[in-house]
Formats: sequence, C-alpha cells, structure tokens
Amino acid sequence: MTTLYVLDVPENKPVAEVAGRDPSVAVDSVGPYFAIVAAGPIVIDRRATGCRHAVWYSSVAGVSGGRITQHDKDALRVEPT
Amino acid sequence: MTDLEHRVRGVDHVAYPTFDPAGTVAFYRDTLGFPVVHSICAAGWGPEKHPDFIHFFFDIGNDDRLAFFYYFGTSPYSAGPKGDVYARFGEDVPEWFVRSRHLAIHVDSEEALLEYRRRLDGSAWPVEMQIQHETIESIYTHDPNGYMIEVTRAMRPVTPQEDLDANLTIDALLDVVAGDDVSMGALLARKAELIVERAPGWSAEHEPIQPSHA
Repeated sequence: MTTLYVLDVPENKPVAEVAGRDPSVAVDSVGPYFAIVAAGPIVIDRRATGCRHAVWYSSVAGVSGGRITQHDKDALRVEPT
Repeated sequence: MTDLEHRVRGVDHVAYPTFDPAGTVAFYRDTLGFPVVHSICAAGWGPEKHPDFIHFFFDIGNDDRLAFFYYFGTSPYSAGPKGDVYARFGEDVPEWFVRSRHLAIHVDSEEALLEYRRRLDGSAWPVEMQIQHETIESIYTHDPNGYMIEVTRAMRPVTPQEDLDANLTIDALLDVVAGDDVSMGALLARKAELIVERAPGWSAEHEPIQPSHA
C-alpha cells in the first residue's frame, strides 16, 4: 500500500478531499495528519484542489510504500514502489 | 524536541556594514520611519588597522534593532556583480541562492503591510514583489546596500500541529543528511516513519487547532 501523509491545516484540506474522490483511495488520519492510502497510484489534480503554488508544493508531509513521480502545476502523483 | 529552558527574548540587534550611510538613513528612517535609537562613534583600535566607525541602530519594533557599521575611509570590496555590499557573488551563482539570505520584519495586519508598501512605493526603493498565499503575505525590496528586506504578515496563527510537523521534518532531515541518499524522496520516506511513530501520541496530548484566516 502507498500512503501519502498531509498535515491537517486549513490550506491542505482540499488536497485530502480531492484525493478521496477516487474510489480506490481511502483517507484516514494518523494524529493531526491525513493518511491518504491506496493500493495503486494516488493522483491529485492541483486545479481541483484550488491550491496556489506555495501551499501546493509544500503540502506533502511524508510518503511510505511509494514515491512521488509527478509534483508540478498540474498534479501530484504517488506510485507504489 | 528540546527540554532546555528557552530563555532568549528575540533579536537584540542584527548588524550589517554599509558604505552608504546617507542612503541607509534615507531608507530606514526617512522612508520606512524606523527611529534611530542608538549610535556609537568609535575610534579604531586593536591590532588590526581598524578604521574609525559609526555603529548606528534603527528600532524595528518590539525593541528589536537593525544596526549598521559605517567605516570611515573605506569603499566596497570588489568580488562580483551579484549580491549586496557584504557578500558579492559571480555571474555563475544562481539567483535563488543570492536572494536566500534576507531580513523579514513582522507586521500585525494587512493595513500595516500596505502602509509600508505605500512608503516604499513613494521612495527610490519601491516594492519589487508582493506575494500572498494562503498563510502569509509579504512585500520585498532591496535597501540601498543591496540587502533584501521583507515585510510580512501572517494570514492566520501558526497551529500546534505545525510545530509537531516542523520537529518531525528536522528530525527526518538530520537522519537523511547522515545517510547516503540525501534527497527529498528519502526525507519524505523517513518522515512518514516518524509520523507513524509519533503523531498518534501527540494527538493524545494535544488538540489540533483549525484557525480561521485573518
């Protein structure tokens, strides 16, 4: 499983919310972090989150069981390793 | 995390050299309105051939001070086309590095930030950049010495969970720089482990706060 951790602060909520729209992705919590979990890739569309760049590019707190293969103005993509 | 008692009380002063005291006073006192609160006129002494100098201080709020040294009979040391009067760099040094070192002065409100924008824009040192994102808003310019100055306000208070996150980041960073793979990928993998280890226990003792924006 791939887990993407995102700190639960107001600016990051849309990141978790958009990630969770994918039925193959589960959004749980670990302490004050969102834990976004999937067996396959996790793909988050930046425009759907409404995040501007400073927040978008600093929204990832941790990644386990995978690696970031895309983090640009279009999307954040985490794929299983 | 540290158990050491935290006894310090902010910035007493930060000190920069200047070769342009007139420009420096025009910028900090006459444009920004930072009062001159202290100065020292000192004859050079010591084993090195130290020039006579004036050490002068501007109040930057909160009783914190920004100080300058003006050394009589000196002129800027040459070393390259980029940077400020203290640190010069060659053309090959990237701009993001040259611009990394700066002084950021805090204001409490949007109104105060815009007041400093107004003062700068009416001067020879207009605001070069105004950036607002979800957590902070800042204006930037360079003073007559080439030093980058930022005035910034917080759009919301820092939350307790951000303090936890900062500490996990730094602990992960120290682990990663001690290893072979010094990369963001390695940091995020190590930080994920620390989140699993420490974040649940943190939540048992703290209430995450969800502030509203100012």
